[in-house]
Amino acid sequence: MQQRLTSSSPRTSEPLVRVDGLAKSYGSTRAVRAASFSIAAGEIHALCGHNGAGKSTVVKMLSGQETPDEGAIHLGGEALDLRTRQVAQRHGVALVDQELSVVPSLTVAENLVLGDGRTPWVNRRASPRSRALLDSVGLEHVGLDQPLGSLGIGERQLIEVARALGQDARLVILDEPTATLSDVESEYVYASVRKVAAAGCAVLFVSHRLGEVLTLCDRVTVMRDGQVVATSTSGELTIDSLIEQMLGEAPHHPQKVTAAEVDRDVVLSVEGLTVPGRVQDFALSLQAGRVYAVAGQLGSGASDVLRAIAGLVPEATASVTVDGARVAVGRPIAAVRAGIAFVSNDRKSEGLFLDKPVSWNLLATRLPDVTRLGVVSRRRWTARLSALVELCGLDRGRVGQSVGALSGGNQQKVFVGRCLGRDDVRVLLLDEPTRGVDVGGRAAIHTLLRDAAGAGLAVLFSSTELEELLDLADVVVTMHKGVVVQRHEGEPASAVLLREMTHGAGDSAAHGAVVAAGGDR
Amino acid sequence: MNALSAPAAPPRQRDGLRHRPRLAVDAVVVAGVLAVVAVGLSTDRFVTVANAKAIITSASLVGIAALGLTLIMIGGSAVSLAISQSVAAIGMIFLSAQSLGLIPALVIAVVVGALITGLQGAVVGYAAANPVVLTIAASFAIAGLATGISGGVSVAPSGLGYDHLNATPGGVALSVYVLLVLALSLEWVLRRTAFGRSLYMVGENRVAARAAGMPVGRTTTVAWLAAGALFAVTAVFTAAFNTSANVNLGGTLTFDAIAAVLAGGTPISGGRGSALRTLAGALLVSAVSDILLLRGYSTGVQVMVKGLIVLAVVVLVHLRTRESHA
Repeated sequence: MQQRLTSSSPRTSEPLVRVDGLAKSYGSTRAVRAASFSIAAGEIHALCGHNGAGKSTVVKMLSGQETPDEGAIHLGGEALDLRTRQVAQRHGVALVDQELSVVPSLTVAENLVLGDGRTPWVNRRASPRSRALLDSVGLEHVGLDQPLGSLGIGERQLIEVARALGQDARLVILDEPTATLSDVESEYVYASVRKVAAAGCAVLFVSHRLGEVLTLCDRVTVMRDGQVVATSTSGELTIDSLIEQMLGEAPHHPQKVTAAEVDRDVVLSVEGLTVPGRVQDFALSLQAGRVYAVAGQLGSGASDVLRAIAGLVPEATASVTVDGARVAVGRPIAAVRAGIAFVSNDRKSEGLFLDKPVSWNLLATRLPDVTRLGVVSRRRWTARLSALVELCGLDRGRVGQSVGALSGGNQQKVFVGRCLGRDDVRVLLLDEPTRGVDVGGRAAIHTLLRDAAGAGLAVLFSSTELEELLDLADVVVTMHKGVVVQRHEGEPASAVLLREMTHGAGDSAAHGAVVAAGGDR
Repeated sequence: MNALSAPAAPPRQRDGLRHRPRLAVDAVVVAGVLAVVAVGLSTDRFVTVANAKAIITSASLVGIAALGLTLIMIGGSAVSLAISQSVAAIGMIFLSAQSLGLIPALVIAVVVGALITGLQGAVVGYAAANPVVLTIAASFAIAGLATGISGGVSVAPSGLGYDHLNATPGGVALSVYVLLVLALSLEWVLRRTAFGRSLYMVGENRVAARAAGMPVGRTTTVAWLAAGALFAVTAVFTAAFNTSANVNLGGTLTFDAIAAVLAGGTPISGGRGSALRTLAGALLVSAVSDILLLRGYSTGVQVMVKGLIVLAVVVLVHLRTRESHA
């Protein structure tokens, strides 16, 4: 049986999945040309690439969402014609999508069997099989009849993984399954992926998190400009060599400006920020020209802190001042008028106007600047726009395109750019600023943020990623279960940060700050 | 080596992709319009000056109200289901106020109209009320108040000033000129002003607009205020034409206006649409009704065909949107 086939012997005589010379063009753009690779049964195979390298197109062709122009897909030695996602599913190709495709109003059990062609109706009863699936992705605490809407975004992603696992697939494709997950939740995904592979499935794992690629996957196929650059076993690779393959150049680490001066003006001051059930008594003051980070896993309250300051949490209480002036909490418009700009972690539903051109999105919040007596002035509109396009490093030719047609990285640049170059913005808040953004886009956004701080803004972002925290922030405040664990200036050790984010202060009495914060209640 | 074999400049990607699939849908639209024209040309008495006037005159009253509804739809608040009742109430007020003179009566009608609908808009904009539910409630409230105050009888005009609205300068009804001027001005407002751009963005994604600190409540309220003023314009023309007004003055206007906006291709989900499209939609619906009337079909058939047009356009708009997003 294939049951015992382990990942240690990926190269068997005939691989389970063989992709031969796949090509796909959109109009005159060749998204993918001659992509070939193979995945053995029991192998976890990573697909990496810079943005626009063609990974998504390959995934779409494998899962039946696009028909290849050329080339063939073999599964178990049989050439498949995957015309629709349903056909692909029947042939045993399961896809965990980049975008969440779960239904919040249905129960967990119903979501688990959603879109499964084999059951003609949705069984409302909780089956032991569904229970086992949930447990396998580490969701033991979640009830089957719980409405999905009551779960966090990370838990929803795990439900989606569980659904794909439940489809008895031969090839499981995971398209950035951990992009929105915290490190702890990611571990559950890794564990379940390993189980699936051990059971004889081929796994294609698309990810931007290179660390996980190297530790989880057996082999790595790197794409660049629509072509496969190399397939290597992960043992031969390092993060740097992988980035080099992806970018075609050696990685450069962005210069970190050490902001040593301490007696700068305090721009934003937050005291006693409390969100019932989520954040306890958070306090922080931000100085102009520095980058601050709230570090915490999902559910730590890091994201709630930012949303509350931005006025998006009606039940929050806090004393917030910008340049000494009090800001009413709970109304986004009040926060914006006070000079607080917020970049949500959900740019699709809470950020951009996807249907509208890049230009509209960039200028959405500064219509008064580009109008005269309420009428749009073409001259001011164009002048403002070209300045912003230049600032954000966007392609000038694409300003007329709808934002929805851009890649995640470019969308995020537009979203951040919307808050830049404005005199009225004093504080920039970013919730997970590089979520779903590729390596190149991430570097560009980090540069934008550093430049914004250099121009005198106070920047505060939340992140769960150590690399980002260490690269970008001058001050890191770690949070765990709604309370601040520790404030770090300079270069904290990543192990310390990770421990504080995942375990809080622990039992150590040395963390006096937490004891004091906890004692206030 | 060879300069001629150098790779071509990077193609202007996506443009080709984005426009090609639309052609199929566009072809259907063109074919549909041609079919209407062909049927029209082959219909007796369709191609006469008198008939053309009849079509645009009947399009004008629905069209002006539909322009108001266009604002509401672009702003993402779906529909107002209280148009007929608002128009009836304003018509009654307008005719009762004739003793004050035409201009004061017009001002009163437009201001009251704007307030009635603007108030509903404020509740939708600031309190995020469901516009469908709210306007159903409003329609009963308005009809009830109008019936109570008028005692359920028709209001006769208290002066003769209203008759100026029935003028036909150049042989065409005044309301037609008003419709054209309003449609063009509204198109300009939507395209060229900060309000117009905000309205499209608020309509497409209200949550994002709110998070960005855009004035969601104000934009929505202004859109509904303007819509109320436009409903009032329809009301004064309708009342003047009928020379009396009762609670049934609005007739089926609510659904006729919705049909005109949808037939123009403005999606009910918000963020898209234009005044000129609504103008075209109103003309299309009016022309098709006219053809059916001339060919002797019953009212039942006319109503049914109106429904089919709306359905067809909604499906086409959906297909087109989906293709352009593929």
